[in-house]
Amino acid sequence: MSEVILEARNIFLSFHGVAALTDVSFRVNKGEIFSIIGPNGAGKTCMMNCINGLYKPQKGKLFFKGKDITGMPPHRRATLGLSRTFQKIELFGGMTVLDNIRLGRHMHIRTGLLASSVYWGRNSREEITHRKFIEEEIIDLLEIEAVRGEVTGMLPYGLQKRIELARALALQPDVILLDEPLAGLNLEEVEDMARFIIDINEDQRWKVTCVLVEHDMGVVMDLSDRVMTLNFGVKIAEGTPQEVQENPEVIKAYLGEEEDLYATRR
Amino acid sequence: MSYLPCGTYFESYLEEQKWWRTPFIKGKMILMLVLLVALPWLIPKDWVSVVCNVNYYILAALGVQLLIGYCGQITLGHAAFVAVGAYCSAMMVLFLPWPGFMVENGLAYPLSVLCAGFMAGFWSVLFGLPSARVKGFYLIMTTMAAQFITVPLVITQYVSRIGGRGHYFQLPPGTIKIGPVEIGTDSALDLGRLGIWDFDADTKVYYWSLFLVLLCLLAMGNLVRSKVGRAWVAIRDNDIAAETMGVDIIWYKLLAFFVAGFFAGIAGAFYASSIAFVSPEHYGWEFSLIWVGVILIGGVGSIQGLVFGSAFFVIIIEVLQRLLGYLSEGFEQSFPTLGVVLMKFVFFRDTAFGLAIILFLIYEPNGLAYRYWQLKNYFNLWPFSYTGKGH
Ligand SMILES: Nc1ncnc2c1ncn2[C@@H]1O[C@H](COP(=O)(O)OP(=O)(O)OP(=O)(O)O)[C@@H](O)[C@H]1O
Ligand SMILES: [Mg+2]
Repeated sequence: MSEVILEARNIFLSFHGVAALTDVSFRVNKGEIFSIIGPNGAGKTCMMNCINGLYKPQKGKLFFKGKDITGMPPHRRATLGLSRTFQKIELFGGMTVLDNIRLGRHMHIRTGLLASSVYWGRNSREEITHRKFIEEEIIDLLEIEAVRGEVTGMLPYGLQKRIELARALALQPDVILLDEPLAGLNLEEVEDMARFIIDINEDQRWKVTCVLVEHDMGVVMDLSDRVMTLNFGVKIAEGTPQEVQENPEVIKAYLGEEEDLYATRR
Repeated sequence: MSYLPCGTYFESYLEEQKWWRTPFIKGKMILMLVLLVALPWLIPKDWVSVVCNVNYYILAALGVQLLIGYCGQITLGHAAFVAVGAYCSAMMVLFLPWPGFMVENGLAYPLSVLCAGFMAGFWSVLFGLPSARVKGFYLIMTTMAAQFITVPLVITQYVSRIGGRGHYFQLPPGTIKIGPVEIGTDSALDLGRLGIWDFDADTKVYYWSLFLVLLCLLAMGNLVRSKVGRAWVAIRDNDIAAETMGVDIIWYKLLAFFVAGFFAGIAGAFYASSIAFVSPEHYGWEFSLIWVGVILIGGVGSIQGLVFGSAFFVIIIEVLQRLLGYLSEGFEQSFPTLGVVLMKFVFFRDTAFGLAIILFLIYEPNGLAYRYWQLKNYFNLWPFSYTGKGH
């Protein structure tokens, strides 16, 4: 079997006594696309926030690349190679697209306070190397050349989603958490985004492991290697898309009638 | 960033990230530098000290701009850090047993300016510590605490007791020396073949302030376009996302407080030298408010805005004051009571400032810098103004 890169063990999270996640465990293998599905309020975003460190689970442990990251603050997890996008877009609205992506490279830039205030020699050269990386690897891949100088707050929703992905990629992560990357996009944008996800997952250059939360069943079943289903914070199924689709409990909880399986979008 | 004139292209990333990107801009900037250097000879003598005051406001409000405009940490106690800088520098110059050669070669004061920066920086970090936990309104309260703890208590009650000179004291002529130049006295500078140039006290202070302003603005400009500055702006715009992207937000907030305090310390050390006097009255809480007002008028989150705001504020106040002075003088003979009434209006300068802030917040919340940006774009895009916005 392939190597486990991310593992959650018996995660328990509650808000003022209301359980959002109960005893959730799963393993994500290196290089796969692992999807988490479930009805609204099932706790998918909470799970992402726990992995990422924004929420602290009351019980349970998280392992990333063999390290226990349970108590680590989010920025330390990012330096280990864990990146994410958000369900509600969380861009830096006052910065340009390019600066947003540059911020994603924060941990790769070495210059300190004094060198930054000079911007000559080393700092300038370093900025150029990173600019080159951003232009050639990210902007080119995600096809956002035309808007690189625009302030992100003003851009249309679909583009903002794409820029969030660009910023998350700039980190050069090993695992990327994608929280509903397709929500609110039109059909063409959905197809583009699905293509980008496959690209970053399969391209030799990136090989990023993806943890995907998505309501669009068609895309989830097409892209995922494995799928986990949550319902009211409880894990009810895990397996290949085929297995999950056939699981009676999943059908009862979430997918409804079997004929409706692909009815969500197509 | 404003739009470039049509036909300007860059062929390398280096070209694009330069300070002065086109020959036109380069020319403009060089012209500006020349004008700045020649300024004392271009304006009436009694206005030189006004320009020095503008520069002091730029230095002092720079940290406010950094904290509020770039890092999103609202501060209402910045005068405290300026005071720390002023007292630190003045007391170091007066009370430290400097070795003789350092005093003679004018190294003592410049060194004290640097120390004032560090001292104020660390003092500022101390009051920035709550920012790790609190945001917005609560942070405003903790920064106000900085003002009230530092100036009326620590400085007035304890620090100014050192040396037994009272709350306020003079820096005797000759104590402030930068290299061979004495600040605060009139003197002539022998330039050899170029002849002997007379520099009065104000002109020397002006050059000293110009040097500091250019240095600090350059450092600030470079900071905000590199890693550190981007992290600050990211914290301002969305601290959760910043943390997720690997920015240690507590560390960068404290760094912002340190750098802001450092600039404030330098501003204080400059101010003490420019008036050769320190007194807690010059660092009251109203100055903390004024510097926030200055960046509101000029434009939050813009270095140009800081310059515009400082110039606007200082010059408007000066003009108002002089106008009222002339008027009351002129009418004194014919209408003695009117002169007195007009003199009373001097106190309305604070009202004028308050009014200016309100008007700016209503009619131009983006400040003067935004107007300037629009103007530049208008010329750069002329006559095809509609091509500016893509898609
Ligand atoms: N910060 C919070 N405080 C209190 N309750 C919360 C908080 N965050 C989430 N919850 C609760 O936890 C439960 C799970 O929420 P979560 O956002 O994880 O759902 P989700 O599966 O992402 O749903 P959706 O598909 O709508 O995004 C919900 O009942 C929600 O109200
Ligand atoms: Mg969600």
